Amino acid sequence: MKARNGGLLVLAAMLAVGSVLIGSRQEDAEFAGTDGQAMEAVTALNPDYQPWFELLWEPPAEIASGLFALQAALGAGVLGYYLGFRRGQAHGRQKRPDAGD
Amino acid sequence: MHITEGFLPPLHAAAWTALALPFVVVSARRVHRLMQDQPQIKLLLAASGAFAFLLSALKLPSVTGSCSHATGTGLGAILFGPSVMALMGTLVLLFQTLLLAHGGITTLGANVFSMAIVGPWIAYAVLRGTQQLGAPLALSVFLAAMLGDWATYLTTAGQLALAFPDPVSGIAGSFIKFASVFAPTQLPLAVIEGLLTVVIVNFLREYSGEELQNLKFPPQALATEGRS
Repeated sequence: MKARNGGLLVLAAMLAVGSVLIGSRQEDAEFAGTDGQAMEAVTALNPDYQPWFELLWEPPAEIASGLFALQAALGAGVLGYYLGFRRGQAHGRQKRPDAGD
Repeated sequence: MHITEGFLPPLHAAAWTALALPFVVVSARRVHRLMQDQPQIKLLLAASGAFAFLLSALKLPSVTGSCSHATGTGLGAILFGPSVMALMGTLVLLFQTLLLAHGGITTLGANVFSMAIVGPWIAYAVLRGTQQLGAPLALSVFLAAMLGDWATYLTTAGQLALAFPDPVSGIAGSFIKFASVFAPTQLPLAVIEGLLTVVIVNFLREYSGEELQNLKFPPQALATEGRS
């Protein structure tokens, strides 16, 4: 399991890194979000369209990046807790002297 | 797949909200029942939600020179069934709307529909379908998570196309336009999401056997158990 998972993670990382390398060769590669590009497409199709509702609150850029990090940290923290907990449990069971199998 | 605040006409926004709401209510009930009937799987439920939280926060680069993010809702869908993820996805989207200015309140229904309903259902259907065809579990999980991710983005493209038909080529032409904004970027990202989901499932099969048994996962194992 370990070797296979390691391989899969390396593959995923290579895909991400490779994407940056290939993507950077594109003209005007700014790595802008596709969500934003889609909304630009809306305005291109419908120059008259006016968004009829405003965001309740928009964080300043620095705070937004912090909150993004917070979201990832919360997710990774809980996930990591679970994975470590289960792995530790399994190892604990193995080490007990009465573990026959 | 986040439609920005105010970027769906009021009628569309209301319709998608009305369509998504029953799924979220059923989902909340299902999560509640699951936690009462099987309190021992609370931790795994939290971990699946955390996976969606983590993956949807990661803006990943793509070969097209633009960025997008994975959804992370496939994992929970294949473990707990698709209906559970409607609530989880809604929580993720609410967090992003209120704190990150990503998405919106008026477009929440549409975004929930694509990421927390269509994605998980497609993922679940792909898992069951490929398992019935006898595919190896890892391949099934990979395809489920990857296609669930694509389905989410195609749904968003469809929602935008319905709201903003092309003056010349209509809804179909508009759909192609929006899909071509998302699709090339999302192709490699969905592969990454698929790989990461397989990594987690591999781990669960090694260390969380008891929980998977309670969940009757993988579905194939259930069938062989039934026969013996």
